[in-house]
Amino acid sequence: MITDLLKGSLKKSRGYCELRYHKRDTFTVSVKDGKIDILNSGIIEGACARVLVNGSWGFSSTTMLEKGKINKILKDADSLGKASKPKKKRAVKLASVKPRVDKYETPMKIDPRKRGREELVSLVIDVDKDVRGFSKNIVSDTVTFNIVDDELAFLSSEDAEISQRIVRCFGNVMVIAREKGNIASAYESIGAQSGLEVLEKTPLGNAGITAAERASKLVSAEVAPAGLFHVILENRIVGLLAHEAVGHCSEADLVYGGSFLADKIGKGVASEKVTLVDDGRYPSGFGMMKYDDEGVPTQKTVIIEKGICRSFLHSRETAQHFGVSPTGNARAWNFEFDPIIRMRNTYIETGDYSLEELAENIKEGFFLKGGLGGQADFNGEFMFGTQEAIKIKNGKFAESLRGVTISGNAFEVLKNVDAIGKDYVMRVGMCGKEQINYVGMGGASLRTKMLMGGTK
Amino acid sequence: MSLTDFTRLALKHCEKAGADEAEAFVQSQQTIEVVLERAEIQSERIKTQRGIGIRIIKDKKLGFVFSSTLSRSTIEEACRNAQSLANVSIPNPDWVSLPTPAKLPKSPSGIYDEETANMGGNEVLKLAMRAYDEAKGYDKRVDIDDGKFSIFLNEVAISNSHGVEAEEKTTLLQGYIICVAKEYGEISSMAFEYDVARSLKEFSPEKIGRLSAEKALASLKPKAVKSFVGKVILDSDPAATVLIQPIISSVNADNAQRGRSLWAGKRGEEVASKRLTITDDGLFPKGIGSSSFDFEGVPHQKTPVITGGKLEGFLHNSFTANKEDKKSTGNAHRDGYNMLPSIFVSNLVVAAGKKKLEDIISGVDKGIVVRRFSGNVRLESGEFSGIAKQASYVEKGEIKYPLKETMISGNAFQAIKNIIEIGSETHPTFLKAYVPPILIDKVNIVSK
Repeated sequence: MITDLLKGSLKKSRGYCELRYHKRDTFTVSVKDGKIDILNSGIIEGACARVLVNGSWGFSSTTMLEKGKINKILKDADSLGKASKPKKKRAVKLASVKPRVDKYETPMKIDPRKRGREELVSLVIDVDKDVRGFSKNIVSDTVTFNIVDDELAFLSSEDAEISQRIVRCFGNVMVIAREKGNIASAYESIGAQSGLEVLEKTPLGNAGITAAERASKLVSAEVAPAGLFHVILENRIVGLLAHEAVGHCSEADLVYGGSFLADKIGKGVASEKVTLVDDGRYPSGFGMMKYDDEGVPTQKTVIIEKGICRSFLHSRETAQHFGVSPTGNARAWNFEFDPIIRMRNTYIETGDYSLEELAENIKEGFFLKGGLGGQADFNGEFMFGTQEAIKIKNGKFAESLRGVTISGNAFEVLKNVDAIGKDYVMRVGMCGKEQINYVGMGGASLRTKMLMGGTK
Repeated sequence: MSLTDFTRLALKHCEKAGADEAEAFVQSQQTIEVVLERAEIQSERIKTQRGIGIRIIKDKKLGFVFSSTLSRSTIEEACRNAQSLANVSIPNPDWVSLPTPAKLPKSPSGIYDEETANMGGNEVLKLAMRAYDEAKGYDKRVDIDDGKFSIFLNEVAISNSHGVEAEEKTTLLQGYIICVAKEYGEISSMAFEYDVARSLKEFSPEKIGRLSAEKALASLKPKAVKSFVGKVILDSDPAATVLIQPIISSVNADNAQRGRSLWAGKRGEEVASKRLTITDDGLFPKGIGSSSFDFEGVPHQKTPVITGGKLEGFLHNSFTANKEDKKSTGNAHRDGYNMLPSIFVSNLVVAAGKKKLEDIISGVDKGIVVRRFSGNVRLESGEFSGIAKQASYVEKGEIKYPLKETMISGNAFQAIKNIIEIGSETHPTFLKAYVPPILIDKVNIVSK
């Protein structure tokens, strides 16, 4: 057993030390234009050591799971910690947590380990067929489905011993349409932390049709204009806003660096309509874990409650520094990275407006749909792409235009929120912060003002 | 066992499992990295990883399996799994063959550096500190937000059942720093600077530190400018993101064959300004993407992409080349042993012009300079829109002041037809493209 091997090595360590083991079993099937483009499966496994020597961390990892190599990563981590000690101003201290001995597994109705791969291959082939058949102007598509099955072990010199099995199933569709020298692409995704039952709850075929419809429609559309507009942000984009623009500012490592929220605990930072949460226990959330990668139990953390900033997201190190309890936000992408503060499932709580009601008092504006990638600075400035901008004229939805990048200061945008819809949805996302990770992003469509960067 | 011993072993098991064709790719990588955050050293990591990717073809059906464990038993099991995946696949009528052996060119000069290969954690730490000290020492108002310095020692081996066999070692150093400047409670936008090189001698952490600090200071006290349509000088990094990225996507033969490229069927046509000449050169001396072969073991070469604005051709791996009965251009790419080969540039070299950046600026009557771009670029259509970071307003040939929250938008395919000037200083970028600053016209410059 791998944990026995790790335990044996752990005994030799001095000071605080963590050993993590991670085995990632992946399956991917991708069909491009009716032909199988990728049919992959494989395993990447390895272990890492993180050692705290006189307040200085050292880290080392390996894919070679032999006793000698495990002892070597412990030694390397130890000597890196020692070497960098004189260069560090602060001595790291950890907030104390009760060492846990526990096991956790993603609740699943259909465990992908127990199913053959044939049916998944034929599902993806069928979705591809429907997408290409949607319209004559669709020239190319890619339909992909993935299973990522993680086995994680966490052992510490404080005698924590946690094993978790986290299963994520997710898929996406990319569609390209061409017409009279114009080209347009559209993208949709589905997924959850769950077994294959996610395909019943959110069929990949529906995402395919949404994307096909959008690409097909936008190929002959103009690009949306530039300027400051009243907008409705679609539920899927609101999740992005919650994550990119606000969530990052509440990560304690960025707070420490002077982020927008640094001096805002107890103060108003958004419209009172806005309650924003990062929840590590969100059922089926893409970023859900029972324990984070420091062995801390995760929790539901309310960042903004009715417009008032309430809490930051912490690791053991930052919790100690800020004099609070760790929130279970220390996460690592895999065994090649030390845990850093990451969001889990971040969302803005739902409201009760219908889409028509949200549009009602907008004289001239846009309904922005389909999020693309985004970025944010810790002063709250953000930008992200949108795929489609539906014109709103005198409270009614009109023609579709090509989406553009939107930008602004998140907290200004949130202060301008005057209504939130009831079409709440939690979606899957990937977030990059030196290392990438799986996150959940949720919300309902909402109304605000936003700078759009169009080409007219 | 050497890496090639593992690839050979895999081929043997694939043959036993009944494959028509097979390919094994083994990678071994040692990485040392130092991460700076909030003006401090955040983490140092030593990472060792190895792994194998096995591609099997049976009756035109493809299976691919990877594993991070290199042992006789795991390789045997992986080959059996690849075969059973191929069994549940469907035949691809476009499949012709894996590449056949060809004589490999000599290893490009300067892609492996013994000094870099021998560096330990302490040495990488010193590199990071050199950049750190330079930035902090440059001006009291400068703070380091984050940064990362990494060195890589990379070895790959490829064998296939047609007799292709190749093995090579490379080194790479990479570093970036993001600085902010603080003055009277005002925080500048984040200024990013990086460098990448194959050898320690070519790598300058001081330059990274100094330039990043300079950029942060230069963006203090920003002002807004009224929206206008006009000239934008894109520094190397934003030029790569905004203009070169859509080009890379459009000259990808797979995209062209699938109608995902606006340039499909346009070989020989004028697609850009006469000033633009681009070559893909897998043998570029000291190039960050240089090696003697691509990730299918096909010899690297020099491939003209755009000459004087005219589209010369597309970049192929063996699959797309076979589809058109052509020879692969040696552009098979993998992000790791766990990925099937796709297509990417080796080193995309944009031919330099004659003017230095300052001289380009002095020739602009009204426009802006953009040193970083944070936004979206639609690769197929070329539409781009996003925030111009570390941007300054230029009037009568002079930089007047830094710009506040300004967005730029336009279309890359239009923009490359409106190139007014290409700079003389080419920098390597993260896209494996060597790009000089580029002055374009008719861009929307939008402010609140």
